Amino acid sequence: MPFTAHDLRYHPEQSYPLLYAYLHRNAQRYLGSLQYDAFEVDIVVGHVVEQLVRLGLFAGGDSSPKTALDQLSDAQFYAFLNRSVHNKAIDRLRKKHIQISTSAELESSERDESDDGPMGDAVTSLWGSTPFSTPEEITVHLSSQLALRDVLKHCIQQLQAAPNQLQAVLHELSEYGADDLLQVLAEDWHLSLSSDPLNPHNSQHKDHAHKKIRHCLQQKSSNLTVIVALRLCEYKVLSHETHEYTVDLQTLAQNDLSEEDVQVGLKELVAEGLLSWHGEEGVHLNSAQIKRLTRYYKEE
Amino acid sequence: MTEHNQNEGFSVPSNNPQPLARWLQDVFQAPITSPSTENQHAPLSLDLALLIQDEYHVRFYQQIPDFCMALLTNDPQASLHHASLLYHLLGCQGCHQAYLDIYDSLHAAIYPQGVRPILGQGTRTLDGTPHRMLAHLCQTLISQAEALLSHARREHATADEPARALLQLALRISSHIVQSTTRREALQDLVRVATLFDGPAAPQESGSQVYAYSPTLAGTGNMRSGMAKLRHQAAGQAQESQMIQLRARNLDGMVVQHGKTLELHLHDLDPLLRGRFLCVNVALGSLFEPVRWLGGNPRSIKSASPVDGTGSLVTPLGETELRMSNPEERNLLEALFLLLQVRACDQDAG
Repeated sequence: MPFTAHDLRYHPEQSYPLLYAYLHRNAQRYLGSLQYDAFEVDIVVGHVVEQLVRLGLFAGGDSSPKTALDQLSDAQFYAFLNRSVHNKAIDRLRKKHIQISTSAELESSERDESDDGPMGDAVTSLWGSTPFSTPEEITVHLSSQLALRDVLKHCIQQLQAAPNQLQAVLHELSEYGADDLLQVLAEDWHLSLSSDPLNPHNSQHKDHAHKKIRHCLQQKSSNLTVIVALRLCEYKVLSHETHEYTVDLQTLAQNDLSEEDVQVGLKELVAEGLLSWHGEEGVHLNSAQIKRLTRYYKEE
Repeated sequence: MTEHNQNEGFSVPSNNPQPLARWLQDVFQAPITSPSTENQHAPLSLDLALLIQDEYHVRFYQQIPDFCMALLTNDPQASLHHASLLYHLLGCQGCHQAYLDIYDSLHAAIYPQGVRPILGQGTRTLDGTPHRMLAHLCQTLISQAEALLSHARREHATADEPARALLQLALRISSHIVQSTTRREALQDLVRVATLFDGPAAPQESGSQVYAYSPTLAGTGNMRSGMAKLRHQAAGQAQESQMIQLRARNLDGMVVQHGKTLELHLHDLDPLLRGRFLCVNVALGSLFEPVRWLGGNPRSIKSASPVDGTGSLVTPLGETELRMSNPEERNLLEALFLLLQVRACDQDAG
């Protein structure tokens, strides 16, 4: 084997030319009509190289943790690289508005063009069988958990004090086809979906209801990071000089949270790109960050 | 909403979590469009720019292969063990796209279909690899070093060693790039990232009292008379040496090699500096081990003599086994002097 994942990790200078040669050859192969466009080939090769660096594999040495990629056999690792090139090439072809109606058609044309290509038998669509292929699928997984449904029930129940908002949410759930939850709500609290025409301010009621539900879900969460996100939004103070919001760590560390807990939560929010905080005594926030924090939710 | 639902209220429960999921996603949907979504519809770039920058989250990104492998091997605990990553994928399009890509590629790796991929038959050396791709690799390595440093800083940890190793690798690879403009592009962020090691509280050495020199590009014309004079002087003193030309605003200078010694030549210095010793700061000096710096600290090398009455200074900087007569070693040394700052030593006291 001319190079291995181990070589890329520990001997990047020696193995880069070999990696480049391998990626270049396959990029040309999958780029079809763009194979002689040096820029397009570079884009594809550059993407895979960049991904290997970002994953901590290329030049990672012992400092970046080993992953499943390090455990692949040499042949499997080549197949991994090959497929990465293939996917990026398709992405570039699509962006170049090549006339491809379906990915199956593209792969069919690949079979026609290559006599012994490794993708010859590959017929699955690009992301068709991938779990969590859309954010929606991730949410499906999360919302199928019973605990979350119970919390949702509770939060929707809280809307009974604002009948217009409750109706707006019930209509919305019905629109989305969330019939299971609707039936549970109907049985538990004898709620019904009004057949009257929609309130002309329904959109506004819906927005208010969403805000309350988000807040309620955050309040019911026992996840430390969610608790800190919620407290940031609740305890923030607007500075008229900087037009920024600030919250002291001590303010966040109330009741059941220690200052260490708060720091852990803040670090998590920073890691997720929701905050800029470098260990100072105060946390500074802008309104865009506040908006994102009010929408932050996860369970234990 | 279907007519059935509109007119007759609740329909028969489907036990399907998908509608509820869609609704919940709508409730939590951010009000602004994320940058990565915009990028998908942006015109194609004409430069080979880095693709993963703003939405790169080191900790989550590097967990993706293990999560994908757990899913592919039907680990029932996959989503539980990686719950934090899963929630992150929900809100980060950059990481989610990487997840899709890696999952598919890993799937192809462990469940192969058809013939195994063919190995390349191309070049085997860095010199023979297209230099634009070497430049792209250098930029990627430097960007990764910056990401590691930023991440470590946020986590109150340290990533100096791995980041330094990445920057050193970028330096070494850049030395194989022949064209000076491409080499300069490859290292365009090096000084900025290398100085992140100093942390946010590092003293800022800027202002009119500090002269910041950097190498002039090869082939740059418009040599000033002072430069010609310097060359003439140096030619007499070091017949076989090579030089690295430097410039700070309208001032010229050069680094000349005599045997193992690297010597700094400056000319036309401000009259206020005449008769004073200077402190030289080689910003990337600590990144580069093959030079033994005079005094041991490349950030503060005191000149061996004061600036003379004509505004000139010749002072040794350190010793090295590298030879400017070797093109790659010369490129390394040139990269080392991407930023060389000079100021009067007694400014420290003030």
